[in-house]
Amino acid sequence: MDPLERELKNALRREEPSGDFTARVLARVEQQKRRPSWWSRWFTAPGLRWATAVVLCVLVVGGVVYQREQARRRAEGEVAREQVMLALRIAGTKVKLAQDRVQQMSDRSTRRN
Amino acid sequence: MTSDIPNPAELVQTADFAALVREHQSMVFSLALHFLHDRASAEELAQDVFLQLYRHLGELKSPEHVVYWLRRVTANRCISESRRRQRRPEVPLEDAPESEAPKSESDPLAGERLRRMVASLPEKIRMVVLLRYQEDLDPEDIAKLLAMSVNTVKSQLQRALVMLRRKASGMELER
Repeated sequence: MDPLERELKNALRREEPSGDFTARVLARVEQQKRRPSWWSRWFTAPGLRWATAVVLCVLVVGGVVYQREQARRRAEGEVAREQVMLALRIAGTKVKLAQDRVQQMSDRSTRRN
Repeated sequence: MTSDIPNPAELVQTADFAALVREHQSMVFSLALHFLHDRASAEELAQDVFLQLYRHLGELKSPEHVVYWLRRVTANRCISESRRRQRRPEVPLEDAPESEAPKSESDPLAGERLRRMVASLPEKIRMVVLLRYQEDLDPEDIAKLLAMSVNTVKSQLQRALVMLRRKASGMELER
């Protein structure tokens, strides 16, 4: 170790902070313990409390309205599906009738010849 | 040095935290003091470090882990504080009041001059010097603490000594 390094060791020796350092740290720890967490401050701050209540109400009402709208759309879809099925069944019956008629006519003309 | 201190995780709710502060306050405070060269700011920073320690005690596994954690957090905070001061300069080093700390070495003026020279080194190099000469750490331990390679630490120590010698010879010429 050269002289400069020895001098550095000597100059940079540990020093004690002021006498009440520990007490001040502990006071700040106590202060911090008493301080409520950010979420409890959020719910207890007067202005924010009302804003939070309004936001929650809007969310709940919005959720209910959304659910009802979804149910209404599902019911409408079901009715439309049933109408399409009925229309298909009617159309199928009509086609069958037309086919029978054509068949009968063709049978009759064959017999006549 | 740390063997009498109980497991940090057990200290969270007890007054033994005070013993932990007393045990390590000179290390944390001196790192900050020699880095910032300002007693009031060093006390403030050291208090913040211990407050942060209190919040993280549950995560620290052993007394050795506490020492490592304290050195690492103090080093990072000192560097951040120094950068913050550079962005918003307060009192230039030359105009800053002399440290009120008692100096016990044979030549108090030389010691103070050396501390001021160290305080004027670039941040990372300054912290490497403090960990080496105040805390007596090996380059390997310093490298781990500051997330650097061992070679970088060794070269920064060499650079620091060259810079300090140059500054010292400049001062000699001025006198």
